[in-house]
Amino acid sequence: MGDFEPKIVAFLCNWCAYAGADLAGVSRLQYPPNIRTVRVMCSGRVDPLFVIKAFKEGCDGVLVSG
Amino acid sequence: MTQKLLDLAGIGAARLQLAWVSSAEAQRFVEVVSATTAAVKEQGPLDTKAFADALTAAEATLTGETLRWMVGKEVAITTKGDVYGRKWDARTFESLLDQVLEREYHKNLILQAIKNGHTSVRAISASIGIKLQRVSYLLADMEKTSMVEFKGMEDSKPVFAAL
Repeated sequence: MGDFEPKIVAFLCNWCAYAGADLAGVSRLQYPPNIRTVRVMCSGRVDPLFVIKAFKEGCDGVLVSG
Repeated sequence: MTQKLLDLAGIGAARLQLAWVSSAEAQRFVEVVSATTAAVKEQGPLDTKAFADALTAAEATLTGETLRWMVGKEVAITTKGDVYGRKWDARTFESLLDQVLEREYHKNLILQAIKNGHTSVRAISASIGIKLQRVSYLLADMEKTSMVEFKGMEDSKPVFAAL
């Protein structure tokens, strides 16, 4: 259990969360590498089906950030 | 709603996290990602094969008209009122949505069980772990909406087929 590294798909809204992540990168802030980002133009674009599809494809968690 | 569905499916609501992060909040982004990673790590790896049927049923539930209509109409019904002119309290509507979600999810689970070859009511109930009475009740509903058809009796057990 201690070795398990979860795969997390993160749907980030271009204007807010993605820009926040970008700023974190520029500021050299460290954060867990488990997230795979998907940029969306608005978090409202994220359909619940995206979440199910992500799980079907094998991820362990989903983050939706707007 | 999707978190509730994930709980119903046994996948776990904690696997889906929602957070608001503004473009200036870099530190908050780090916190959100760390918290999400910790929460998902606690849940453990997701066994996609074990949950294949649950995920298919969840997908069908979210694609279905019933839920899409309800979610779409929520704002109108809780602000302007329904077709009878009654304005619904948001919490009452949400609790109804939860019930419909569970119902639709169970119906899709039953449909999946039939497609997997469990065609008698008892076999369906045993395979998905829902009480016999509830399976029977939902099958009647599914017959009416042409999701399944009654094929006849085998060994004095009612047998159904997916449509």
